[in-house]
Amino acid sequence: MVTLTVNGQVIQAAEGQSVLHAALAAGVYIPHLCDHPDLEAKGGCRLCSVTVDGGDVPVPACTTTVAEGMVVDSRTEAAELTRRTSMELMLATHPADCTGCPKYGKCELQSLYQYMGVNGQDWRMKSRPVPNNDSNPLISHLFTRCIRCGRCIRACQDLRGVKVLDYIRDGVGVHAGVPGGKSLVEAGCRFCGACIEVCPTGSIVDAVGVMEKHPAYADNVVPCRAECPAHTNIPEYIRAVREGRPGDAVAIMREKLTFPLTLGYICNHLCETGCKRTDVNDPLSIRNLKRFAVENDKEQTWKGKGFMKPRTGKRVAVVGSGPCGLTAAYYLNKLGHDVTVLEKRPQLGGPMTSGIPAYRLPIEGVNAEIDYIIQSGVKYEVNHEVSDVAALKKDYDAVLVAVGVSKGKKLGFLPGANFDQVYTAIDVLADLRANKDISYLGKTVCVIGGGSVGFDAARSLVRKGLTVNLACIEPADKILADKEDQVEGAEEGVNILPGRSFEEIEGTQEKVTGLRVHTVKSSTYDRATGKVTEVAVEGSQTVIPCDSVIFATGQYTGLQDFENFGIELNRMGYPIDPETGKSGFKTSVEGIFAAGDAITGISFVIKAIASGREVTSVIDKYLGGDGDIEETLVERTADPHIGEFPGFGTLPRVEMDVIDPETRVKNGDENVYRTYTCEQAHCEAQRCLQCDLRLQLETVKLWNEYGGGE
Amino acid sequence: MKQLETDVIVVAAGLSGLAACCAAAEGGARVVCFEKASTTGGAANMGMGPLGVGSRIQREHMIPLSPIEAFRKHMYFTHYHVDPRLVRDYYFKSGDTIDWLCNMGVEFVGVQRAFGADEATRPYSDGEFTWHVCKPEGGGVPGPRAASGMMKKMTEYAQSLGVEFYLETPVKKLIQEDGAVVGVVAVDKSGEEIECRAPSTIVATGGFGDNPEMIKEYTGFEFGKTIFNFAVPGMKGDGMKMCWEAGAAKTPIIMEIMYQLPDNMNHFIIEGAFRQPCLWVDRNGNRFMPEDQIGNTTFTGNAISHLPGKVAFSIFDSKALKRYKKHGPDIISHVHPHDLYDHFDEQWERDLAAGYEPIAQGDTIEELAKNAGIDVDGLVAQVEEYNAMCDAGYDELFEKNRAYMQKVEKGPFYCCRQTVGAYGSLGGVKINHKMEAVNEDARPIPGLYCVGTDACSIYGDSYPFVLSGNTMGFCLNSGRIAGENAAAKVGF
Repeated sequence: MVTLTVNGQVIQAAEGQSVLHAALAAGVYIPHLCDHPDLEAKGGCRLCSVTVDGGDVPVPACTTTVAEGMVVDSRTEAAELTRRTSMELMLATHPADCTGCPKYGKCELQSLYQYMGVNGQDWRMKSRPVPNNDSNPLISHLFTRCIRCGRCIRACQDLRGVKVLDYIRDGVGVHAGVPGGKSLVEAGCRFCGACIEVCPTGSIVDAVGVMEKHPAYADNVVPCRAECPAHTNIPEYIRAVREGRPGDAVAIMREKLTFPLTLGYICNHLCETGCKRTDVNDPLSIRNLKRFAVENDKEQTWKGKGFMKPRTGKRVAVVGSGPCGLTAAYYLNKLGHDVTVLEKRPQLGGPMTSGIPAYRLPIEGVNAEIDYIIQSGVKYEVNHEVSDVAALKKDYDAVLVAVGVSKGKKLGFLPGANFDQVYTAIDVLADLRANKDISYLGKTVCVIGGGSVGFDAARSLVRKGLTVNLACIEPADKILADKEDQVEGAEEGVNILPGRSFEEIEGTQEKVTGLRVHTVKSSTYDRATGKVTEVAVEGSQTVIPCDSVIFATGQYTGLQDFENFGIELNRMGYPIDPETGKSGFKTSVEGIFAAGDAITGISFVIKAIASGREVTSVIDKYLGGDGDIEETLVERTADPHIGEFPGFGTLPRVEMDVIDPETRVKNGDENVYRTYTCEQAHCEAQRCLQCDLRLQLETVKLWNEYGGGE
Repeated sequence: MKQLETDVIVVAAGLSGLAACCAAAEGGARVVCFEKASTTGGAANMGMGPLGVGSRIQREHMIPLSPIEAFRKHMYFTHYHVDPRLVRDYYFKSGDTIDWLCNMGVEFVGVQRAFGADEATRPYSDGEFTWHVCKPEGGGVPGPRAASGMMKKMTEYAQSLGVEFYLETPVKKLIQEDGAVVGVVAVDKSGEEIECRAPSTIVATGGFGDNPEMIKEYTGFEFGKTIFNFAVPGMKGDGMKMCWEAGAAKTPIIMEIMYQLPDNMNHFIIEGAFRQPCLWVDRNGNRFMPEDQIGNTTFTGNAISHLPGKVAFSIFDSKALKRYKKHGPDIISHVHPHDLYDHFDEQWERDLAAGYEPIAQGDTIEELAKNAGIDVDGLVAQVEEYNAMCDAGYDELFEKNRAYMQKVEKGPFYCCRQTVGAYGSLGGVKINHKMEAVNEDARPIPGLYCVGTDACSIYGDSYPFVLSGNTMGFCLNSGRIAGENAAAKVGF
């Protein structure tokens, strides 16, 4: 350690530290601008001028190394003169009017002229106008405001090694910019955002809208992670994939997710809608990278890692073993509680093992993920339907209702809906998953409903050799299921009939013969009343001949069908929290909680997992714990030096190879896609902008954060 | 959610908020201040100084204006369309507030009026010496940003009194119980909510200059189309909405009108160069005001706002440009660079090549009119008439100062379209002279004060440039009065 005096205060500093950083670390403020904690000091701006040991030649504190017994003062006349002159010169070329600047109020230059009380009117003002450039994705350039501190250039050249930004000399003067008038994509920009983060003025800023979606700053910087309901550390696991460490990637996923493989196959990937690369060309294929990582994770080093708290002696029952229930069970067990999962079906897993068809999600993978949870110490009982949840309170300290929405709805108003050969998709899918005989459907079926469950049923049945019609009221461009489902379903032979309104199921109680429909020009659905208004195409009535009809028109909890489930339910069968009048983690009975689809209605596996994690914290706190389930399963490394990469901005999104439709239908349960090869995964992973690196950069503290007035 | 409890909450740390913080803390109250930005001072960092009447500095300069004279002048200017009691209390406080700032260590170069009006118009538009212009540290000529040093002094003073600042932590809503405002909910940079409770909350969020929807809804102007106002980031009208939701009545809202070019920062030299008493016409080619008044940005902005398309055109010829280059401008602005015309050609050529829309050039008046989008016949006739009057040495139409009657005759001719600008919005939340937010029946909303531009409805339709420094003056004094009252309420 070195002892020195700065502005009359005796401070300690580390050997080799700069005077500036030593002073700032000790809470002694010295103005500074071109210095940045993450960049090499250049001593260019002269705002940190100090005099040393009574000398009268000011030196920059950022490039002066501390020495034992040194006496430094930033307030001497000579230091002040240099500093003020430098600031005045900067302001003489900076636009006088800050009010239209997006950085206003968060600008280091503004904070500095406020601190120094300099307004720059003593010099000949010479603005150096450079046209604003909003033509690049994600990053706006407004170099009229550039003060030539070079922070963006050092960040781009040295820290990141991307070497896109440099000093530009044009007719007007010098400013930072992209040489040769190239666009950022042409110049090989990697859109890491370091330049934005270090710019002390409003010269380089996030494009309009980028930073306005979430309340938290970090969420706007890394939107994929924010959009993921479980907040999986996506950039970190993509980095691990790119660097050939699929095991580490899975460990990172496992910090937030209990079913990474399942998600790798069927996640609705909200993360991809958040991906900033969408503005450059196409979003990262995050889901497919996840699938690749899990399938190539040979070591499984994450196993057995993470917290396992001492046993608390508290007992928790989890009703339902879908992704929400099992996730909650897994974490509650790790928190030390004794957990028993009660499942009405013969096997655990909910929709993962009894709904989602095999051609989308391989059963062995799901079972391995369930086994890991069971082996961690969770007890379970299958074929155990709970009809009175309140009664469980006798044996358990807390109960979680995570029953999902396992009952299919039929459109009861449709004449014939009660015929024998009218089924619900969820029941048919369960039979298919259990390899049961489905000859009861006959040879030709009509599926009603164009959501993903409808397509699951239709595409599964095509694979069983049936003739399948799928009709829905939505027009072709508004079909609810993914585009993928529609295209692939059609390729496989599903006869998709959009824009159809249903009149009657024809036939008798014992024998369905067809579905009578007509075509609609338009229809609107009023969510509040549940009423559909339509404009029919005259003379479009037809009968689709079929042996059975399958409803895929929604699902419900089924809890209202029990005589008394023991907690307050709303009219639709969802538990409600009387305090708020809405469905939430709490129910009408203390100690009984609810989560997952049972409080939100039908949703996605990732949402259920996130809900399971959240409710775990609530239950743990109820049982006297701290509710903390955060854990780190692998140490992180992230090299800030990402290097040059010509053509980075145009790297195309790598799609998985898809099996041709004929083979797909013939192969039945086999997945439609081929998991990425190592090469494909690497190619796709290297497209990541690594937005998270920006959060490594320190925020410069302004003078007003150095505490009290004088 | 983090929980806090204090005596006084101040929503935003601009000029009015800082004044409230300092006054409340001086009064012994514990103060918590939430600010959206990472710096304090808000829009005032761009300002030059506040109004004061009866200050120590004015007495030293033998400026005899008294608060009651200022009050009467203000009320005449506004035709008594505004709250006399509020205006009175403001002016009577304002002199002492300047002394208060001096005691904080704020230095002023002296007292100024908004601008020296041309001799012929002086009786109508000259201002009083009320504008206390801040002194740049270490001396020098004051200009825009001069007040930023004052914001530093006020921030340091507030910190020394123990005011707790939460930066980058905007307030999202007021907490109201049984009609009374009892606190706020704010959200910090990491997204965490903070609930803070206090007997008094002072809202000081600076209007809605950065909210095009509200500008359209409340003033009829369309941002970027018919108005090009300062849009200080973050000035979204949050505070006004919160006060209205809590039951505060609405007042008429105006934009603080002046005039400026679109994207003026990147065309600053052009903007300055055309702010001269040359030939000004509307879209049809007709003159619309004595051009010697164009230094009065309030009047000129108002005039433009009533022209067809809300645009005017400032025109000079090559001879005039040569004269400006040689002798400097006819009217010197304290905002634009001093050496405007040295850089004129360079910027003009570049902007012309880049197709900067407001500017046009032509070798003949016809060509100029066509390029600029002015009625060709109208402009030709107007230039003929104007040139004849210049020859006669007398402006028969508006009696413009004859020194500026210079013919428009030698091509190429230069033209710049002028559009309505504004500093921001003014008014919205109804308050009384204690700065309490009040409902339609003028009954205070318990626990709620509103100050600064959110509540500045004392101007009527236009900025009262006759008493210059008014907007910063009202912010300071309304904030200070609210801070004192809020501290008094908790019994200090």
